[in-house]
Amino acid sequence: MIRKDEVAGRLRLNEALAIATLADFLRDGVENAAASGLVLGLSGGIDSALAAGLAARALGADRVHAYFLPYRASNPQSAVDAAAVAARFGLALRTLDITAQIDAYFSGEEASADRLRRGNKMARERMSILFDQSKRLGALVCGTSNKSEILLGYSTVFGDNASSLNPIGDLYKQQVRELSLHLAIPDAVLAKRPSADLWPGQVSEDELGFDYSMADEILYLMFDQGLTAEEVVDRGYPETVVDRIVHLERANRFKRRMMLIARLSGSAINLDREIPRD
Amino acid sequence: MTDRRSKIKVGLAQIDVRLGDLEFNLQHHLEWIAQARAEGVELLLFPELSLTGYRLLHLTPRVAIQPATSPIVQKLREAAPEMAIVVGCVEEDDNGALFNSALLLTGGEISHVHRKLYLPTYGIFQEGRFFSEGRTLRMARLFGNPFGVLICEDFWHSDPAERLARHGAKLIGVISASPGRIGPEAMPPSQEAWESLTRASALLNTSWILYSGRVGWEEGTFYTGGSHIVRPGGEMLARAPYLEEHLLTAEIDLREVDRLRWRLPILAAERSDIEWQE
Repeated sequence: MIRKDEVAGRLRLNEALAIATLADFLRDGVENAAASGLVLGLSGGIDSALAAGLAARALGADRVHAYFLPYRASNPQSAVDAAAVAARFGLALRTLDITAQIDAYFSGEEASADRLRRGNKMARERMSILFDQSKRLGALVCGTSNKSEILLGYSTVFGDNASSLNPIGDLYKQQVRELSLHLAIPDAVLAKRPSADLWPGQVSEDELGFDYSMADEILYLMFDQGLTAEEVVDRGYPETVVDRIVHLERANRFKRRMMLIARLSGSAINLDREIPRD
Repeated sequence: MTDRRSKIKVGLAQIDVRLGDLEFNLQHHLEWIAQARAEGVELLLFPELSLTGYRLLHLTPRVAIQPATSPIVQKLREAAPEMAIVVGCVEEDDNGALFNSALLLTGGEISHVHRKLYLPTYGIFQEGRFFSEGRTLRMARLFGNPFGVLICEDFWHSDPAERLARHGAKLIGVISASPGRIGPEAMPPSQEAWESLTRASALLNTSWILYSGRVGWEEGTFYTGGSHIVRPGGEMLARAPYLEEHLLTAEIDLREVDRLRWRLPILAAERSDIEWQE
């Protein structure tokens, strides 16, 4: 039986080997697709910083195309941090402001949209730009969603959770931090509290209602180790947090299994015919 | 056979494989055979399903071959008739059943076929859905010596290797496509598990063990590499690096088995007459 004080140790990674493996994943993916390189959005946060570091490690900085895609209400610090990340890995950073198209959409009849709708629209607009740029460059879009937020559904469908390939989707948030430290990501990025920066003052952990470090341990015990909610609570985790995580994980499964197709033929794509990609 | 040699130069071709592309993989095999020949290799082991890739799912029947009449196998047979070569393929029998098979090519002929006995169908493994189980275990011959060939999961059951050793095998080759995992240590947990098995088997069965793994990615899963050669008794003789293609070669001497078995006659002392008492 895994004790509570053992869990953090089980989430540790051999940093050098994990980084080499994830860089190999990106190199292999780009090579197999005969793509020119990778496109990714830098938000100024730690997830995209780690993905950028892995991409630069895999392909060399000149084949990694970084974009900063601010809205007028974005935190000004995000621009500073994104630039610092790009500089750390020698990446050229292009800034494309998305304010005009977002505000154009949310005028007139849609002007009353709440901040969640607006935030989702921004996330999709950003991914839309990244896919368009990837087409222009013959590159693939590198995902920047981690395992914690994928499991919790803390993402926008076809927005930030869309990508061609994602090197960090099997890393819990604290594993992202661990590898980021190893890659010497700028201190300001390492130190700040995670935020989707979709509206002023947004803080991920406040919105979720718990800290990532605790969420990671609970998710590890339930998702990786197969413990029940009761067994997790028995180990000393707060019941309210466990219940909330159980709810989020269940409610957001639809975000992890894309393309739900109604099966009529007996030879439906991905159900009856699982054709793997290399 | 009168020409019974005890010293054999072995090679493990730790390659990447393109999923579902027989023609590409054939060319890749021919290049590695040429390189191994240049290095004087006499026995060359490719990984499991080396001609097709591993995670085939519904592509499995599309890459099935009948080895005796397959032009692809014919090219391999002609490539280096003086060399003994083990390759992995999807084998179709006369009734249309599909097997995960290893072919031993010697003297321009298919001298031995091993059909995988244990098909993992749990976790990410789905072999039982696409393959039929092999039903027989037979001894191969290698330059006059009894030689055992097993495939991956066959080695996670102690019986096949033990039976081969008890019937005279001094050398057991295991070909594999084993998905890797990264943990806190410098050695991946997937490798740790394999080396525990190969070293224990080399000790308990007082035999040489050759483990031929692969590298590369299939649908987000990587193969560790770390192919290795274990001396009779369990000492690691040589290990290939992780994550990269590599030809690992070494000269082995089957007389080492005889010397160990004189000193440590545990295999000869094996009993089958011990009754279980409730």
